[in-house]
Amino acid sequence: MARAEPMRRDWLAKTLAGSLLGLTLGLGCSAVFSLLATGLPLAVRAQLAMWMVAPIWLGTLSGCFCFADGWRAWRTLGLANLAVFGAWALLRLVS
Amino acid sequence: MRAEILRVYKSVHTWTGIVSGMALFIAFYAGALTVFKEPLARWASPPAQQAAVPLAQAQDLIVRTLRAEPAAARDFTLHLHDAENLPGRLSWQVRDPGADDHDGRHLRHFVATLDAEGRVAAQPVAPTQLGDFIDVLHRVVGLPVDNDPNRWLMGVVSALYALALVSGVVVLLPSLVKDFFALRVGRNLKRLWLDAHNVVGIVSLPFHLVMALTAVVFAFHDGIYALQDRLLHEGRLAGAFQRPAASAGAAPRDPATMRAPAELLAAVRAIAPSFVPTALQYQQAAGPRAIVRVWGQDESAVAPRARGGFVAVDPYSARIVNHDSLPGHQSAANQLISSFFALHMASFAGDPVKWLYFVLGLAGAWLFYSGNLLWIESRRKRGAEPPRRTRWMAAGTIGVCLGSVCGISATIAAAKWLPGLVADVAAGHRALYYAVFFAAIGWAFWRGSARGSVQLLWAAVVLTAAIPASSLLGVLAPGLGPWPPASAAALGVDLTAAVGAALLAWMAVATGRRVRHGPAPSVWAAPAAGTLSGTGR
Repeated sequence: MARAEPMRRDWLAKTLAGSLLGLTLGLGCSAVFSLLATGLPLAVRAQLAMWMVAPIWLGTLSGCFCFADGWRAWRTLGLANLAVFGAWALLRLVS
Repeated sequence: MRAEILRVYKSVHTWTGIVSGMALFIAFYAGALTVFKEPLARWASPPAQQAAVPLAQAQDLIVRTLRAEPAAARDFTLHLHDAENLPGRLSWQVRDPGADDHDGRHLRHFVATLDAEGRVAAQPVAPTQLGDFIDVLHRVVGLPVDNDPNRWLMGVVSALYALALVSGVVVLLPSLVKDFFALRVGRNLKRLWLDAHNVVGIVSLPFHLVMALTAVVFAFHDGIYALQDRLLHEGRLAGAFQRPAASAGAAPRDPATMRAPAELLAAVRAIAPSFVPTALQYQQAAGPRAIVRVWGQDESAVAPRARGGFVAVDPYSARIVNHDSLPGHQSAANQLISSFFALHMASFAGDPVKWLYFVLGLAGAWLFYSGNLLWIESRRKRGAEPPRRTRWMAAGTIGVCLGSVCGISATIAAAKWLPGLVADVAAGHRALYYAVFFAAIGWAFWRGSARGSVQLLWAAVVLTAAIPASSLLGVLAPGLGPWPPASAAALGVDLTAAVGAALLAWMAVATGRRVRHGPAPSVWAAPAAGTLSGTGR
């Protein structure tokens, strides 16, 4: 079995990835939620959409130190953002 | 890889904890006291000089006040209960233009009363700012003003706090089963402190997760809303949060034709029997869209705000307009949103939960204090003089933490003296708190963490004991200025402070023992002259 390559700390790269892409991920998820929950009045939907950003943002930031290096953190979180915003764009087309 | 991840998260926990720990100590200590903001306000308010207008005459009072003081019509409140901190039956506030929404310092307060001939007399009042001052300390990490930049700073501290929580749990997880409830009381004091730090952290983890997430939201919600308004809501958000504007040209109405408060309360009681109203907030009373928010509490339900919930009633027809914020009558989605606020502010299930939050808040403050102490201890080498950064960290932790305890106790105790001494009581509270706070920090650096910790703890004992002592003086020597407690709530403040002083005295004695007889050299050791350093075990 190949020895696992050692983990790189990459504090700055990982922290920035978690802070920035975590925030956009949270906003993206709230955007998808906002499109799906059209049954709720805007005032209620908007509050729920606002509240869900912080847990996703901080959850991502807390988890991003598990990545093997900073580049992988940026790549994975970037792909996650693409997936969420892609789903949002698709939903906007069909709704 | 797994061990590597643990090491990384240990670093995250150490550094987020060190950077945010002292700020969080102030936020939690002041926050625990903010749970009892109302009893504190009642304790700090002199007993009423004149009896409040009876509720039966409230309608008369409202109509006459609005005739004499048109400025009150925008937003005034009719208080249903008598309490020391409510100077009159009817009150309103005027906000200086341009002041921040969250900044209460620019509000001018007025009350209206009826004299013997039934004439209305409006007068400016200065309600106690003590509770608000401690609340602001807790909201913006010990800074004096609740404005945007200070809230953002609090948001960053809260985000670090969330990181510290998650990383602390990750570090503890592998040994959780083994270490949990293992409080190894023995010669290894550092092990005991670490065990206690872990137990308190894990037991109150749900509380801390709630606090970290809600605090980040409270700090950044304006920014997130603004982003989402552009991205998701096409700029319709402001309209959705405001009541629709009145149609143009609608005629103003005569408040004399409003239904009496008792009728409005009867309409509320009909739909919510367990809801106990405390105040009626009239908005735009003379306008075409007049509304009354009937505020109150319902211990059987979750309240959306710290002061409870409300139901909106039309004062001209006594019709219920909206019960979206009435505890127990909210939609599922609204109740979920309310619960985020309630879980932060302990506004559910009455007094037992308030006491629980008080204890959890103080335990949280201890968690950050003990975290800093563990950082210092883990850098101690047996037999070696502590390096300068360790000594400074110890002095800073002692100065900031005990300084905020001393400052808050001093400013509370001063509430019964300041009205007789200074013109601007609110400024007096601020000046006194910061004077004591910075003096304590200076003292801790000057005397060192060992001697300083014992001396500052005794200062905290004296200042905290000064709270019930002021009330006692009010009983024994009424001419001096302070007044005796006039309600069970105010007496509760005195008793709690007395217990707090006793606990601080116990800490002072224990710390003094460590300083004189504990292992040296250490930042906590100052052996009495004559004892050989290094043998004081």
